[in-house]
Amino acid sequence: MEIYAKDFFLPKRGNTEAEYDDSFSSAKDKTRFAVADGATEASFSREWAKQLVRAFTAKKLSIPIALDELKPLQSKWQKFVHRHPLPWYAEEKANTGAFAAFVGVEFLEDAQESLKIWRATAVGDSCLVQVRANEVIEAFPLAHSTSFGNRPNLLSSTPNSNESIAEFVMQCGGFWRCEDAFFLMTDALACWFFQELEQGNKPWTILRDLDTQGSVSFQKFIDDLRFEGRIKNDDATLMRIDIMP
Amino acid sequence: MAYSAEISRANPSCFMFLIDQSGSMGDAFGAGEGNQKKADGVADAINRLLQNLVLKCARDEGIRDFFHVGVIGYGVQVGPAFSGALAGRQLVPISEVGNSPARVEQRSKKVPDGAGGIVEQPVRFPVWFDPVANGGTPMSQALGQAKSILETWLSQHPNCFPPIVINITDGEASDGDPTGAADEIRKLQSSDGGVLLFNVHCSSQRAQPISFASTDAGLPDQFAQQLFRISSVLPPQMARLAQTEGFNATEGARGFVFNAGMVEVIKALDIGTRPSAMR
Repeated sequence: MEIYAKDFFLPKRGNTEAEYDDSFSSAKDKTRFAVADGATEASFSREWAKQLVRAFTAKKLSIPIALDELKPLQSKWQKFVHRHPLPWYAEEKANTGAFAAFVGVEFLEDAQESLKIWRATAVGDSCLVQVRANEVIEAFPLAHSTSFGNRPNLLSSTPNSNESIAEFVMQCGGFWRCEDAFFLMTDALACWFFQELEQGNKPWTILRDLDTQGSVSFQKFIDDLRFEGRIKNDDATLMRIDIMP
Repeated sequence: MAYSAEISRANPSCFMFLIDQSGSMGDAFGAGEGNQKKADGVADAINRLLQNLVLKCARDEGIRDFFHVGVIGYGVQVGPAFSGALAGRQLVPISEVGNSPARVEQRSKKVPDGAGGIVEQPVRFPVWFDPVANGGTPMSQALGQAKSILETWLSQHPNCFPPIVINITDGEASDGDPTGAADEIRKLQSSDGGVLLFNVHCSSQRAQPISFASTDAGLPDQFAQQLFRISSVLPPQMARLAQTEGFNATEGARGFVFNAGMVEVIKALDIGTRPSAMR
């Protein structure tokens, strides 16, 4: 049995790839995966999102994330931001800090007990969905399109802004088995996914086939949704994790 | 749906501040600010607003031109009122505004120390606009000048989020009834809706502050009532935003603030300057 992951991303329409503020990461041993959504209105959020996903897949963040574990990342972020002198507005934005939504998942296997467990942690509106036998069997931390607001709870790069975030660090877990599929998505794509689900559709069939032979590319798929007004014009990120025999 | 256009570098929007610089602005506020002169309070508010606008548009790589901004003063004369390097400019891209304050002052602000206390932290306070209080109140002329600048803007940006004009005054126009000139501004349109005209009335009267009223009942004098009548009704999205900020903005609420303290004025103006998503 093998865990196979593929990532897809597209910046907002009108933005360049350098302005893409989401981030994603896979552990080399394919046991941990994460996506994060850097808040575009803050500055240096891309760097913060990148540090979060990399720390998670390097097992430097627990499930659930403990706020103390963020301190080294916050120091690193401060150093990155202040590597050059900043104009007044950049300094002010840096003082406010960067913010990101996050979801990360870990796959564990105990061969002796034949137990296959997954555990996930999340803050905000980046989501995980588990699909088995053509059904969604878990959605975390959100499960409905109406749950996506404009002010999700976010992890901050400044400790003062995280004072009340602990209660919003979520965790979830379950069992995994061969031929399960997991999808990690940032909010715009996740919101579309749940809307489709609520209309009785099976959105994972589209995600499952993206970029495979004869199927539509991620870019065309998102561009079309944006053109039809069915998805917010936001950075879009997907990690598709397949458990192969 | 009106007032839903995306604000982007390819499709920027525009803010125009009209500032009363008449002699009476040298008097003290009627509400909340001790003996601070109205002209000083308004200058601080405009500088804070410009700062907030720049910060909204600042990203890692610099400032994105989501907005162009104009400041027109009216008193002894009517015209562009930026100080420093931007003096004389009518509409300035927000990146240039951010990079060209007349000066950056050192001030201090109180922030939580992370351990339940408050500490004073030095902050840089950029200044683009200095207080002036001299001459009459040629408000109609100022509205006329704003209209002609916005006509040109709209011909170049026909699909923009509608420009927002924010007029800050202590009341009575000295060049006649401003109603006609205000109507002309509100008639200007982009494909996303009509230009929004908001009025901030800083009176020296000791009267109760009123924000986003939906009726002129309760306004103490004819000047306040006149400014109320020439103010745009808040689009539903902005009314909702005002409600979430704690204002009692009911249906039909207008972009009109009377006698509010400067903190309230900044909050109110922030609502006017926080339209839909910027990409």
